[in-house]
Amino acid sequence: MSGFALQRSASGLPAVTTAKAKGRGSWNQRLRRAYVPLGILAIWQAGYALGWIPSQSVPPPSAIALAAWQLAITGQLADNILVSLERVAIGLGIGVAAGTVMALIAGLSRLGEDSIDPTLQMLRTLPHLALIPLMIMWFGIGETPKLTLIALGSLFPIYLNLFAGIRGADRKLREAANTLGLSPLETIINVVLPAALPNFLTGLRQAFGIAWITLVVAEQINASAGIGYLVMNARDFLRTDIIFVGLSIYAILGLLTDQSVRLLETTLLAWRPSFLKDATR
Amino acid sequence: MNMIASMPLSQSELHSDPGAAVSVRNLTRSFGGPAILDQITFSIAPGEFVALLGRSGSGKSTLLRTLAGLDPAPPETLTVPAARAVVFQEPRLLPWKRVWKNVALGLRMPDAKAKALDALAEVELQHRVEAWPLTLSGGEAQRAALARALVREPKLLLLDEPFASLDALTRMRMQALVASLWQAHKPAVLLVTHDVDEALLLADRVLVLIEGKIGIDTQIPLDRPRHASDPGFSTLRTKLLASLGVQG
Repeated sequence: MSGFALQRSASGLPAVTTAKAKGRGSWNQRLRRAYVPLGILAIWQAGYALGWIPSQSVPPPSAIALAAWQLAITGQLADNILVSLERVAIGLGIGVAAGTVMALIAGLSRLGEDSIDPTLQMLRTLPHLALIPLMIMWFGIGETPKLTLIALGSLFPIYLNLFAGIRGADRKLREAANTLGLSPLETIINVVLPAALPNFLTGLRQAFGIAWITLVVAEQINASAGIGYLVMNARDFLRTDIIFVGLSIYAILGLLTDQSVRLLETTLLAWRPSFLKDATR
Repeated sequence: MNMIASMPLSQSELHSDPGAAVSVRNLTRSFGGPAILDQITFSIAPGEFVALLGRSGSGKSTLLRTLAGLDPAPPETLTVPAARAVVFQEPRLLPWKRVWKNVALGLRMPDAKAKALDALAEVELQHRVEAWPLTLSGGEAQRAALARALVREPKLLLLDEPFASLDALTRMRMQALVASLWQAHKPAVLLVTHDVDEALLLADRVLVLIEGKIGIDTQIPLDRPRHASDPGFSTLRTKLLASLGVQG
């Protein structure tokens, strides 16, 4: 059944469908989802006002907001966010490009698989953050080790997912393409790559997640700009409020990139049953 | 070199009927064990509707796949038209392409879209041309697959149990549709099925594969349109069922 192929490719991202289904509630429902986070903020603030929470270790939301505002008006916030974003963009760009090329080579030919796959499978087991000491010895403490680490970290999820997607492309659909007179290259373009696209996007989401984590760690090695620098600097001056600002920004940026991949999924995978169901609801 | 290369060709020409749409000569296929297809020889005339019956595992799908070019066969055993199309048991539409694009896929002509839309209108899917394949019902998807095959104007249409996964009512409508499309376009048809009634309703001629050989090759001399209550239908039915090992 063709349904078999579709279910399989659709099953790659169950989280998407549920999240999307929840997001489509009425305004009342959306508001209801904000109750708990808002309540936590209120209790936090009240705990400070009542003196239950020591403001030196955990500053109240109002103080964090104030710190964020002060950093924003001096331009420090935007400057450092841009530096961090640039690191993620370049590192991820290199990692995604390299992962894609390798997955195409390994996925589309047995020779390619034998040449690339065993090595990558071995390297994959090595936590890339463990390379930091080597990176510093090889590349110093500038931008190169940071970008290299982000690229290395994001390469593997792209490679593994895309490779699996290409190999998982339904043989029956490839056969049908063959009977329709498509050349091997046309079959790759029309059948194999679209079939692997959901896996690629799953890989992209994971790659984004790893890129942010790597950024956090990499920025704590002697950075002179970036969110990590802001946080490390704040530690030296005992400014817990700024540390909290940095944490919030990491969280917000992670959320935004995740949402953007989801947006990409809803547009590129509009044909999938989960999205179709949502559209007709 | 030339001599050797031309030897099997001239030999095969001796055996083949030059007017046939399909001719198969001493085709043998095996997958390591006993032969699935054992020295099969038959031909299909242009415009002839042939049904191929057999129990499961009798090699009927193997034969169809060989004719479709999906399984390799020595060239001297096979003459098939270049223009051939297959409809499988599953629709096998590409889910990421809209219905009309699936039908137009691989068509190398400037007005491919118009052709595709015509073919879809012929299978009564003109209202679904922009739909995603996964939103189609089983019958609709199979009609789209039929349109995708017909739009190529095949000289040979290969149908691999195309109605097997449809519900009974949809199956009857599809059988009538295939009969009328065949009468309009007159391709040679090879319908692989395990349904004796379906074979008797549609085919000019029925072949039964038994233990890798064509055990029965019989004309169906019934007038069209046919009905299971026609005289002669049940006699043929009993005979074919018996050949498949079922006492009817």
